[in-house]
Amino acid sequence: MSNFKRAPQPGHAMAPRGGILSVLQATTMLDSKPVLPAEIIATILDYLPVSDLIRFARTSRRMREMVYDDTRWVPRLQSMGVWNEAEARQRFEDAMKRKREAAERGAASSGPSPITPRVTNTTIFDAALEEERQQKPVQQSPQAPEVRVDGFETLTLNSSQSKSPYEDPETLLDVLKTVKSIRGHARPEYGKVYGALAPFYFDLVEAKSHVDPVVFRVFRDPDQQARMLNNLFTFSKSDWAQGWAQREEKLSTMASVFETAVLREFEQGYEFWDVDGRMKKYAHVLHALNGGSAAMDLFISKHPLLDDRDVLANSMDCVNQASWENITLEPSRMFFETLAKKANEQSSVIARIFPNAATVFWALLDKLQEDVITDYVTSLLDELHRRNKASYLKAVSGLFEQCLAFARSLHPPSGSAEELEEHARLIALHVFEQHLDLYLQDELDFFTQHAEREVTNWAQRLSEQDLTAESFYMSNFNRRADKNDFLSSFKKVVMMPVTVLPFGGAAAKPAATPATNRMSLQPNGVPTPSTSRPHTPGLGNPLERKESPLPSEAPTDELKAKAALMASRLEGIKTLCSIEVALDLVAQAKTSLGRVAMFVRLGGQAGGEAREQCEAIFISLLKTLGHIHVKEGFVKAVDHLSLYNPREVSDHSQTGVAPLVTFIELVNVGDLISQMIDVFYEQQLAAPKIADRNDFLDPAGLAKEKFEQMLDESVAAGLNKGIDVLMDEVEYLCATTQLPTDYNPPPPSEEKGASQDFDIGPSQTAKRIKDLVSSHTNMLIGSTEKTMLDVFNGEVGLRLFTAICKHLKRQRISTEGAIKLIADMNLYFDYIRTLRNQDLLAYFKALRELSQIYLIDAKHAKEMATVIADGDRFGGVFRAEEVYEYAQRRADWYQVKRNVERAMYGMDCSVM
Amino acid sequence: MAADPVKVRLQSNDNAVIEVEKKVAERSLLIKNMLEDLGETAISQTIPIPNVTEPVLRKVIEWCEHHKEDPPPTNDDESDNRKKTTEIEEWDQKFMQVDQEMLFEIILASNYLDIKALLDVGCKTVANMIKGKSPEEIRKTFNITNDFTPEEEEQIRRENEWAEDR
Repeated sequence: MSNFKRAPQPGHAMAPRGGILSVLQATTMLDSKPVLPAEIIATILDYLPVSDLIRFARTSRRMREMVYDDTRWVPRLQSMGVWNEAEARQRFEDAMKRKREAAERGAASSGPSPITPRVTNTTIFDAALEEERQQKPVQQSPQAPEVRVDGFETLTLNSSQSKSPYEDPETLLDVLKTVKSIRGHARPEYGKVYGALAPFYFDLVEAKSHVDPVVFRVFRDPDQQARMLNNLFTFSKSDWAQGWAQREEKLSTMASVFETAVLREFEQGYEFWDVDGRMKKYAHVLHALNGGSAAMDLFISKHPLLDDRDVLANSMDCVNQASWENITLEPSRMFFETLAKKANEQSSVIARIFPNAATVFWALLDKLQEDVITDYVTSLLDELHRRNKASYLKAVSGLFEQCLAFARSLHPPSGSAEELEEHARLIALHVFEQHLDLYLQDELDFFTQHAEREVTNWAQRLSEQDLTAESFYMSNFNRRADKNDFLSSFKKVVMMPVTVLPFGGAAAKPAATPATNRMSLQPNGVPTPSTSRPHTPGLGNPLERKESPLPSEAPTDELKAKAALMASRLEGIKTLCSIEVALDLVAQAKTSLGRVAMFVRLGGQAGGEAREQCEAIFISLLKTLGHIHVKEGFVKAVDHLSLYNPREVSDHSQTGVAPLVTFIELVNVGDLISQMIDVFYEQQLAAPKIADRNDFLDPAGLAKEKFEQMLDESVAAGLNKGIDVLMDEVEYLCATTQLPTDYNPPPPSEEKGASQDFDIGPSQTAKRIKDLVSSHTNMLIGSTEKTMLDVFNGEVGLRLFTAICKHLKRQRISTEGAIKLIADMNLYFDYIRTLRNQDLLAYFKALRELSQIYLIDAKHAKEMATVIADGDRFGGVFRAEEVYEYAQRRADWYQVKRNVERAMYGMDCSVM
Repeated sequence: MAADPVKVRLQSNDNAVIEVEKKVAERSLLIKNMLEDLGETAISQTIPIPNVTEPVLRKVIEWCEHHKEDPPPTNDDESDNRKKTTEIEEWDQKFMQVDQEMLFEIILASNYLDIKALLDVGCKTVANMIKGKSPEEIRKTFNITNDFTPEEEEQIRRENEWAEDR
């Protein structure tokens, strides 16, 4: 800013200095008195008090210029907070423009204007100053004419300025507000302030006692006194000459004497509850003095609300009014409601007393929170924590909700809704901060314990039942229709949780906090996370969607009914893995999560911790459910599978291999649980933004992935075993049920008649094998990944093929029996075709072709040889040697052998 | 460095050579920077201080000796928007009880040698001298010629009447 003004200074400064030296040399008054350079003089001036500074300005022009410089005064104005740089720049630019215009006009009228400054022997700076000074009254007069008249001009007339300011004290109070930011005029502006305040300031500083200072004599009204003192405080900031520290201290001593006196008045008013009279008056006085924190403190510390008997309810009511093991939050709700009512009453009172009502109100609330709410909550929670974990957990979240609702229902004297929300959050945070760590830990522990207990209980029950279990499945497994039914109801339930689970959760929550209670709090509370959640696309059926806006009871009941139904249907696999247990755990996890999630809203560190705890609960759920419950089931199922020995099982009439069926059902259950978990994750963690779906490092996401992986691995391992078992069964069936006459019927001629039984359908064995295999593969459809299913089917087909080949090689087949064989092979082929696996199909096609060699009449040995040697016929599945081997299974092989071999190898016999 | 403190030699205006501890000499930023720039070689040489006479130089060194353990001056005081003035230490007050000519010489020397703390003390002392003096007395003290016309003088007195002591 001062470039313009400073620039001429050095040049100008040289002249008088040279002048001084020349004068000195000329007069030789003193021989070699050193002369200080300007910069040092400037430094010296920094240390001078204002009065000396001005006197210094009167010594010479050069000194005046130095003293008058803006850089000396602007900081003083700045220190009082009354200098506005933007305003100053604006004024300066305006002035420059005017000057340019004036200069242009001047140049037009009189030619050599640049000489003018030199002629008048003033600097350019002075000229500018002069010009601005002429403009100043114009700028100022509308705003504050009195100040100029009273505080400034009249002084010069009276010459003893100490009296004049007192004549119009009212204007003195506002002197700080009338200061303008004008470049080049910082000194006069400061002068105005100084003229108004310095007499009081120095008088006060030198005063012996609190009755002496002029301030208290000139102003009689305490409000004015306070404002003046406040002004003096501001003014003291611009005093940086030596000794300022003592002066400031003196000032604050005086102010505190004054404050104490006013506070006493306020207190007296307080005792008589003179709200609109003394209290209001002195609160305003104190506010004018220093923001009124003293009045606020007094008001709050003595506030009757803090030890109001009506409000200070006994927190133990919550415990005592409920049965043992339980808790009712009704008394606490009453407590919060009463408190809110009283606080709102106080809000209006505060608005009447204090100028800064909102601050006071929130300070009172803070105090209230500290003394009343925290006490209440802490004593209740401590007691509960001692007594009963479950109700402690319920109480924490319930009280938190109530506390938040309480804070939201307040009506502060002023301030926006966001402010209220922010304060509500803070209050709740402060109340629960000390409990939060313990609570979060307990919640997790509680859940983990509960989950583990459930699983162990179940395992224990299981081991008691173990003996009867074996007979259980035996009787259970020929109910194929039932199984299909329960598989379909499984699927239904798999679909259900999407819409049902949240309601299940909603139903679980009121159990945590009594329903009536929640309802009354809900209106201004946040909606339960479940209702506002978007549906997972495509899964909610129209009916469900219609119902979703209102939390009706129906879906919950439906889920329960399904669960019960399923439980009864699930008898078969009850020994391995219980969907009931899984459902129970998920519901429990949901309750816990719902409680903890409430704290997430607190944000900041507490919210972060709550969020982490949510994830921890989820992980714990997965761990218990997955690694302990489901995996155990799988391990057991695989054990059963590996123990299975077809020879030991007496009854082979059913179409299933019992352990395998069990296992496959387990796969279905596992899949169901996995889907439930997925839905749970989506809705409880991902949707309320507790866990980030896209964050691949998120612990909850990782745990979920691990769970799914574990499930897949278990399924894969079990299926491997299952195939073995299935094939064992197939082979067993082949070995035990295939009658030798199936493929080699006794020549009809020898028996009664040709018409005996000439059915060309497949043999019993083939039918049973097909049924066995297909029933197992079908059961898996839709329960595991498609790729895994393909692999499984492929493996099953291949192994089936091997088994049949092996079986074939053990048979002896006549031309008549070949018809039956072909029928069998067609049956297998048709079945394999349903698997839609091209590779497998080739094998079974070859098998079908192969069976035809048995049909060839013995007379056509040559053709038979052609068929055997024709590799293309079998699609590369069988080599000629292998086909030859099969051909040996012909009943009449020894009759045709010669001919066939001859046809194949030519004259081989001659070699022999 | 050796246990024996390193010394440097300073040569005053009137060719007096004074040996001082390097640490003491380095209170002067001018000398400190010079030594840093020149390195080891400078230590054996005599450093001329052409603007300062022997008595003044000795006086300045006396001050440096006393303040050699002071913490290095912080550089942020310029940015600190004009710190409030602190009192002069007692030792410095005594130290500054010299005639005015000497005082000015010390100020000039500390300015030249760039010893900010000493310069401050000097300026404060001068400020204290000025306090309460009339313009005429100030002129005498600082050898200032009054180049105001009587009218100007009256005008400036009037426009600053607000600042006059009661």
